[in-house]
Amino acid sequence: MQDQSTQHDLRERLDLIECMISEGRRKTESWGWTFLLWGLAYFVAIFWASMGGSASIWGVHTVLAWPVTMIVAALLTIAIGMRKGKGKPDTTMGRAIVSIWIAVGISMILIFPSLASTGRLDEHSFVAIVAGMLGVANGASGIFLRWKSQFACAVVWWITSVAACFGSDTQLMIVFLSALFLCQIVFGIYAMMMESRRKQREIAHA
Amino acid sequence: MPELPELNPVIHGKLRLALLSLLAGVEQAEFTWLRSKTGSTDGNLGAQLLKLEEAGYVAVEKKFVMRKPQSIYRITEQGREALTDYVRALKQLLGSAISV
Repeated sequence: MQDQSTQHDLRERLDLIECMISEGRRKTESWGWTFLLWGLAYFVAIFWASMGGSASIWGVHTVLAWPVTMIVAALLTIAIGMRKGKGKPDTTMGRAIVSIWIAVGISMILIFPSLASTGRLDEHSFVAIVAGMLGVANGASGIFLRWKSQFACAVVWWITSVAACFGSDTQLMIVFLSALFLCQIVFGIYAMMMESRRKQREIAHA
Repeated sequence: MPELPELNPVIHGKLRLALLSLLAGVEQAEFTWLRSKTGSTDGNLGAQLLKLEEAGYVAVEKKFVMRKPQSIYRITEQGREALTDYVRALKQLLGSAISV
């Protein structure tokens, strides 16, 4: 009888270890909102830049519109990210994903102002670089998370990057806006819905 | 007949075992997160974490974030080894119990 209770206690401990380790590794990050936020920021920048000018991502207010919108979006991302991450544990996977996006963000912050200040940046090269970098970040995250939808976004960005090297300014704008809508707005909402479902499942299991 | 292993008394306490296992699944975690996952009281949790810290199984970093104190815990290499040994011993004991 005592042997049985000891055995039961040992099994309970083994189950506790398993349960707690998986609890710690459970995916708790929610980043869908960042896709939506940055998608909206790009749309705002394009709309602002083209105000009063022709329908183009490079309008009369480009010098002000792009830097201001991007800085505001970056500050909002940091503020909301800190608030959402408060009290949550750091995981290796979370840090790996965040580091990819931070590295891509730093690259963009360094490249675009440098190219713009030397007059070597045009609409086509801008879209080709942005789309290429977003392809890298989405592709790496998609492979790391084994998330096919995000990898599909990477494919869309890579196609956009190549397409940006060809065609007219109007075609470029259509391709870029379509990719933004699909991979930032639609994917962002989809990711948020998935995260919300996951949370509901966790509440139901608790 | 092989000698049965002894279970590490520092880890054997259920709350300490839960804490070490939780920390094994993450890089580092705040006191508040550990409290929410274990459902323990502040006093008990602090005491158990202190025992793990004294044994060298967890490391703590105390800092202020926006003027609020924050204690961040992470499992040490020694703690990870102790947990692995504990699991091995548990399985060995269970194995011997089954074979008996």
